[in-house]
Amino acid sequence: MERRKFLGLGAGLAALSLAPVSVWAKDYRKELPNVWKIKNNEADANDLKGVNEAIKAIFGTDKPEEGKFKLKAPDIAENGAVVPVSFTLEKAKKVALLQSANPECVVAIWDIPEGAIPDYAVRIKMKKTGKVIVVADVDGKIYKVEKNVKVTAGGCGG
Amino acid sequence: MRVKAKAKDGVVSVMAVMKHPMLSYDMAKKQGKEANFIIKITGKVDGKVVYDASTSQFLSKNPFIKFKFKGEAGKELELSWADLKGNTKSKKVKIK
Repeated sequence: MERRKFLGLGAGLAALSLAPVSVWAKDYRKELPNVWKIKNNEADANDLKGVNEAIKAIFGTDKPEEGKFKLKAPDIAENGAVVPVSFTLEKAKKVALLQSANPECVVAIWDIPEGAIPDYAVRIKMKKTGKVIVVADVDGKIYKVEKNVKVTAGGCGG
Repeated sequence: MRVKAKAKDGVVSVMAVMKHPMLSYDMAKKQGKEANFIIKITGKVDGKVVYDASTSQFLSKNPFIKFKFKGEAGKELELSWADLKGNTKSKKVKIK
């Protein structure tokens, strides 16, 4: 019995030592599998309950400070299928992009490796008018910036 | 996948377009298909990660991204993505 336990331990250690060979640096899909399923209130895009829950799950707090970084998104998006969103930070450890317009809240989570400059842009889908929220972990402090985007033609339809 | 990487004053700016339908659960249901979208985008130079995004169904169709990192011209940037169904694609470009 003792011997078995010992062998089991060895196998565990071997698996552990193999882990860092993983292809991806940080996989928030695997690390936080449930955060991607947190739902928005589909009846009210001003209700940020789901967004706040997701922020808490990603950053450990649902009370981020109002941010001092730039978030760019259109005031009015004529096509909700392609909404350009960009943000500019000098540095950060982790950044998350969320919105309140789609069935689920989270759009993307970035791990910011050493040497990376979190001056990023993406194009996202928005089903209807709602808020775009960017949250960043800068030196352990959590900052949030949000912007209302009016969508005139939704982007999650057929 | 189209990738452009340009260096200026020690900062590399990258623009990339990935070809992918990014079928969200809602859209897939309507079209009678299975949802599939890119869930991971990684950029590497000399084996070192310079960009690391975990993504969802809400990136636009044929996702467009822009990012920056400290680096120089002449090196090779490798950008890869993986989707929900396990398909992967990667492309190497020289930083100009």
